[in-house]
Amino acid sequence: MSKAHDMGGRLDSRRIDITSSDVKFKADWEKEVFAITLALGFSSLWNLDRSRYARESLEPKDYLQFGYFEKWLAGLINLLGENGIIKDGTESEDNFKKSSFRVLEAKNVKKLLHMGGPTKRDSTTEKNFNLGETVSVRANNSNTKVEKGHTRLPDYVKGRTGKVIAYHGSHVFPDANAHFLGESPEALYSIEFKSQDLWGKCEHVEDTVVVDLWESYLEKFK
Amino acid sequence: MKKDNLKQFYKEFPSNPDARVKALKSILEKEGLIDQKALDEILDTYQNKVGPLNGAKIVAKAWANKKFKEDLINNTDQVLKDMDLNGRQGEHVVVVENTETVHNLIVCTLCSCYPWPLLGLPPSWYKSDAYRSRAVREPRAVLSDFNVKLPISKKVKVWDSTSEIRYLVLPQQPPSSKGLSENELVSWVTRDSMIGTGFPKPPIGE
Repeated sequence: MSKAHDMGGRLDSRRIDITSSDVKFKADWEKEVFAITLALGFSSLWNLDRSRYARESLEPKDYLQFGYFEKWLAGLINLLGENGIIKDGTESEDNFKKSSFRVLEAKNVKKLLHMGGPTKRDSTTEKNFNLGETVSVRANNSNTKVEKGHTRLPDYVKGRTGKVIAYHGSHVFPDANAHFLGESPEALYSIEFKSQDLWGKCEHVEDTVVVDLWESYLEKFK
Repeated sequence: MKKDNLKQFYKEFPSNPDARVKALKSILEKEGLIDQKALDEILDTYQNKVGPLNGAKIVAKAWANKKFKEDLINNTDQVLKDMDLNGRQGEHVVVVENTETVHNLIVCTLCSCYPWPLLGLPPSWYKSDAYRSRAVREPRAVLSDFNVKLPISKKVKVWDSTSEIRYLVLPQQPPSSKGLSENELVSWVTRDSMIGTGFPKPPIGE
């Protein structure tokens, strides 16, 4: 089951509009959305996977109509809503714990942006696949624990066969982290697929697509 | 199976984005959850400090210095850290090298992941539905929208940024730039050449 954001391979006849390529922000409100979203990202109330989940869970028609920063804005409002900072009138009491909210101060901006949020973990987790090995991607790309939950397994590679070309160690698993089920790090691999195998008809038989996939997205090739 | 009931609070807000963000900001200000100086600092960083020049410096150095190129490809995160070029949305970077037989192209089909510390914020087209959907299925048609035509002898390798690994293309050095200094080479490296939608070219005026 794929949601509106899962766009890879979708038929789209539009040309790429390269004319406005150097405009970072089209309006002042976009700057505001960008800065507020980054600042609140350091509040410790949610994580990057949660904010991606919030954006991709917008009503599909809005997801497709909204501009990039409109999606950010709507997603952010939903995150603030679930934390009780924004109310929809249905709560019986104030559930916002202000004490757990970290306000980003100007003096910390440089340091925190520089630190970022590495997702590689030292823990050694199960690793069943080796470099050069042919592997299959799970046939179902739904989140296995949460109904209509977050996943980074694109629809266009589900059930497909590819080759392991890199192993990146253990990384935080988005399908769990987006729903506050813990970081649950898993082995992360780069898998190379022949375009021909993905699309049937392709532009050039040698062309390939590489997708980063976690351990539990993969199966032994039979 | 667990349920996750993230509600659509945004619908209660004004639909015009300008009014919507103003309404949100007034709530956040009233609660004391944002510091305007921090917001200004964030914008200053991404509008004025971080941009494709960072990536261009790395590429030029890799062209000029073979040993550095090997280090960059084999030990990327450490090299970027030493050059103070790591950071948010560039915590884990993989550099992919264009060769006589391979042309690399970067996309993020699920959102718009992009190596911020090396290239700044992504251009509008990188975030467009058309680019996100077409790049993996018909990369050569996408490239022709950028007036890039590849010889049949080159395979296209598209990298879909589905994890927190960020990708940077190391373009081939144009033969006409051979012998130039690292400093001179920097201005040959275009942003698009580091995404794979363009080639390096001589700086304007040459």
